[in-house]
Amino acid sequence: MKRKKWFRLDNAALIFPAIMKRRWNNVFRISVSLTDPVDPETLRLALNGLRGRFPTFFVRLRAGFFWYYLEEITGEVPVSSDFAYPLTHMSRRQLGRCCIRVLYYGNRLAVEFFHSVTDGTGGAVFVKNLTAEYIRLKYGVGDLSGGIFDPSGVPDPAELTDRFPEFAGGYPVSEEDTRVFRLRGTPEPDRFRHLTTGIVPTDALIDAAHRHGATVTSFLAAVMAEAVGRVQAENVPRGAMRPVRIMIPVNLRRLFGTDTLRNFVLTVTAGYDPRLGDYTFDEICSRVKHSLALDATRQHMAGKIEANVRPARNRIIRLMPLFIKNPVMRAVYHFVGERVGCINVSNLGSVSFPPAYEGFVTRFEFIIGVQYSYPNNCSVVSCGGRTFINMIRSSRESELERLFFARLVELGLPVEIESNRRR
Amino acid sequence: MYCVKCGVKLADGETECPLCHTPLPAVEGGSGASFTPYSDRYPRERDHEKYLILGSITAVMAAACLICLILCLKTYGRVYWSGYVMLGIALAWTVCVLPAFFRRWYPMIFLPVDFAAAAGYLLYICASLGQHWFLSFAFPLTAIVAALTISTVSMLRYIKRGRIFIVGGVLMAIGSLCMLVEFFQHITFRTPMFVWSLYCVAFFTALGLFFILSGMIPPLRAFLERKFFF
Repeated sequence: MKRKKWFRLDNAALIFPAIMKRRWNNVFRISVSLTDPVDPETLRLALNGLRGRFPTFFVRLRAGFFWYYLEEITGEVPVSSDFAYPLTHMSRRQLGRCCIRVLYYGNRLAVEFFHSVTDGTGGAVFVKNLTAEYIRLKYGVGDLSGGIFDPSGVPDPAELTDRFPEFAGGYPVSEEDTRVFRLRGTPEPDRFRHLTTGIVPTDALIDAAHRHGATVTSFLAAVMAEAVGRVQAENVPRGAMRPVRIMIPVNLRRLFGTDTLRNFVLTVTAGYDPRLGDYTFDEICSRVKHSLALDATRQHMAGKIEANVRPARNRIIRLMPLFIKNPVMRAVYHFVGERVGCINVSNLGSVSFPPAYEGFVTRFEFIIGVQYSYPNNCSVVSCGGRTFINMIRSSRESELERLFFARLVELGLPVEIESNRRR
Repeated sequence: MYCVKCGVKLADGETECPLCHTPLPAVEGGSGASFTPYSDRYPRERDHEKYLILGSITAVMAAACLICLILCLKTYGRVYWSGYVMLGIALAWTVCVLPAFFRRWYPMIFLPVDFAAAAGYLLYICASLGQHWFLSFAFPLTAIVAALTISTVSMLRYIKRGRIFIVGGVLMAIGSLCMLVEFFQHITFRTPMFVWSLYCVAFFTALGLFFILSGMIPPLRAFLERKFFF
């Protein structure tokens, strides 16, 4: 009998199974829209053809005595039609069968990942390869360049390993423990996720960011910080205001020069404190840009990695059974994990396909789920000259989206809006 | 098409601005096309909390049955009073807890099951006491009440109009049922005929007729609605 492969969770992934709730867990979605309707049978063949090249994606979540782990699945991963909203809940039982979900609807194929498997960059690599394999099977077009791998090839061991311990610095750096403003809203009783997608020409966005002396990520984070600040100003009396901080995930692959397909991302926070006075948009933009520049450095991130890796090295924690570890991790995450920021602005960057596939792909989207305790989140990706800004929401109120996108329009950007309105 | 309030361009298929909810004017050939970025398929999710609560209630009821059985066996060496308690709890579970396990309440399934369970409980009591009133009294009455209840619930559930007439008819049927109760009582227990049931017939028939009349006379109905709305 063939022994099933298994993988330890990487350091960033350890927290996600522990903090899963009955109605929430940490999942994200990457989707690709094609020129023609997706054929489910070809998609199924393409998906299961990638099994050998991407073994860490064809896994299910299992609980050991001390830690969770990922176990290879032997059966085929099914593909199914998409739902009325993205990132429907992935229950513990579903994760016990498979940690990814492959969906299709019209011209779009989408993969939803449990965050313990990979991060946005790893997910994007997988979805690019899935799309390439689908196009190869459907249209006979192939090009093994620009991040497209041979599906019959063998994975590089570096892709499968947890790189956090390797790059941990000698001294831990902790996030400033400030109680920030918490976004709130009336929750949707049936867990419906409202998705509002703003489509902006990438060139215009880069020009606007440069006009304010910022990068695209810091510009969007600044617009978001300003929008969150306005939500706070409308709902909270001045004396009870708290700092506005945006969590910005930093892709550590660029800083440390690795190409792992496991999680290798950490967040930094940037923002302003409205208790100190009113800030203009340029001042917020400047603060965000400089915070990012100061924090997203190799040394600082190594310190942050050390702060995350250190508890996992502790012998007492390692020998603690999972049923004790879980509530402890949950409590720590609840009191520390999300208190440092109001909302994520996760920019996956620019994604491109090799020229052979460009004629088949019309758009590429990246959607992160809502936070553990906050109802909103924002993710950004650029593809084919357009930037897709996805704002997801588990509450009824759309005030934050309105303020955010209306501000982009005020700043001179042409924004096209799409939504998954409830039917 | 652009939202006049937010200034954003709206994708085809948007009928209102997703940001400020300003409705779009219906423009021929403009917005309102059938483009929808997501399907209309909703995930089926198990309500874990519900099942946890129902499972706990079932476990408590089962434990109560078990305790009664043990106590009864220890005291009398046979199933005596515990039989009534256990079957009573089973009846309560069938009527109250069992339907809650299902996503929807189906009257045509659950009501017959409930009445069958009630008839079974009555049969057990009758047999354990060594009496003979089940076939001539309890069974026909249970069957008639079951038929009346099922037909009433079905009519109220599936017929959307004329509910006031249904209620009127049901009230008159309840009057007739009282007469049947007394009739079966007379056959089984040799009690005198039509002592109290005629009053019930008169009362329920009058009430039923009043409902039917108020359905037929709109001013009366409007007056009653105005006086008794809640």
